[in-house]
Amino acid sequence: MWETFQEKFYESFIQDNRWEYIVDGLRTTLIVTFFAAIMGILLGFVVAMIRSTHDKTGKLKLLDLVAKLYLTVIRGTPVVVQLMIINFVIFASARINTIYVAILAFGINSGAYVAEIIRGGIMSIDQGQFEAGRSLGFNYIQTLGYIILPQAIKNVLPALANEFIVLLKETSVAGYIALQDLTKAGDIIRSRTYDAFFPLISVALIYLVMVIGFSYLVKRLERRLMRSER
Amino acid sequence: MSDKQALIQVRDLTKHFVGVHALNGVSTDIQRGEVIFIVGPSGSGKSTFLRCLNRLEEPSSGQIIFNGVNLMDPKTDMNKHRQKMGMVFQHFNLFPHMTVLKNMTIAPVKLQGKPEAEAQKEAMALLERVGLADRAEAYPRQLSGGQKQRIAIVRALCMKPEVMLFDEPTSALDPEMVGEVLKVMRELAQEHMTMVVVTHEMSFAREVADRILFMADGKIVEEHGPKEFFEHPESERLKQFLSKIL
Repeated sequence: MWETFQEKFYESFIQDNRWEYIVDGLRTTLIVTFFAAIMGILLGFVVAMIRSTHDKTGKLKLLDLVAKLYLTVIRGTPVVVQLMIINFVIFASARINTIYVAILAFGINSGAYVAEIIRGGIMSIDQGQFEAGRSLGFNYIQTLGYIILPQAIKNVLPALANEFIVLLKETSVAGYIALQDLTKAGDIIRSRTYDAFFPLISVALIYLVMVIGFSYLVKRLERRLMRSER
Repeated sequence: MSDKQALIQVRDLTKHFVGVHALNGVSTDIQRGEVIFIVGPSGSGKSTFLRCLNRLEEPSSGQIIFNGVNLMDPKTDMNKHRQKMGMVFQHFNLFPHMTVLKNMTIAPVKLQGKPEAEAQKEAMALLERVGLADRAEAYPRQLSGGQKQRIAIVRALCMKPEVMLFDEPTSALDPEMVGEVLKVMRELAQEHMTMVVVTHEMSFAREVADRILFMADGKIVEEHGPKEFFEHPESERLKQFLSKIL
């Protein structure tokens, strides 16, 4: 029993240097998640600004409409379908490294969720804070930047962190466009060794460790921000 | 511009919310150094009027001339003029993520380009005056309601405003904290700060006001000096109002 166990482990990771699949896959997963998260933040921030400015002032009607369309389509369809459409339809004839396609697809997807999280944070701040800022002479943008956003971001930090944990796990469908991410790496090893246990369990453990580590970092950040909490 | 010109001239100001006429043509002059109180039943438009003065509420029509500038002109930079119109709110609206000192210095530093050290020095002097210098590094959540409102007043003063607008500044306070806020306002009045105060504190109005406006149904029904106002009301509306509250 113990011998087969050792043998399977050897086959899964040591033989033919198969552990390299895992390392390369992990690197790809981290790269995609990191840049998609940055893109999601930027995109989500812009969309949130458009939406809440429209809600607060009634301006930016056309942009608000575009933003709403974006939110509806992205949140109304599965991310793996979006990924495939971007890869096989939009970039069908273009020879682009699939890692860029994945970053783009997951960034666009994440942006929609980040936008609604940030907008919710802005709208949850008491209107009196806006009025106090404006009454001192700050314009709309300054009031947002100095007074509203610092409070709003702090309030939505847990929700944002959760979104990035979801994003990290969602990138596991990148194999659909033949990108060798962490999940795909485990699957490749499985198909070579005909043993599913070691590759898949170790892939799962790696995701779990990353999520726990990230959650811990966010907790610490939250506690630091909490010092000025009301 | 003549010296005699009023600091704020309001002409035929109206404000319509959907289906409601909150202001029905309000006109008055507010002189430099004058302390004006606005009283009236709830829903009379007194808060709306005050909030229209710095266009926190957008008036529907009419004119507001502040320092000779028409604030209703679309070309007027309201942000610039709001710097000269301090406002104090019923619910204080201090910035909870900033210390007391930062609450007071952020506007002068960011808007007037004042050096941080100078802004802090001025803020500390004001805190000293209202007896809260030891709270400079506190966050708003650590303050009582009365302390918060005193901070809110000096925060507005940091911008060296030409007029101070008070929107029911003591209405959200526990009774035992009203006095400390009124004391600060009284001192301001004695220093000839131009003040427009919406309040329910009748005895305070009587003591401090140069002129009291009585509003009802979005109009100024009567305006008098404080003695006249309470002793010789003319209209039935005001007589009725006074009989209910005195």
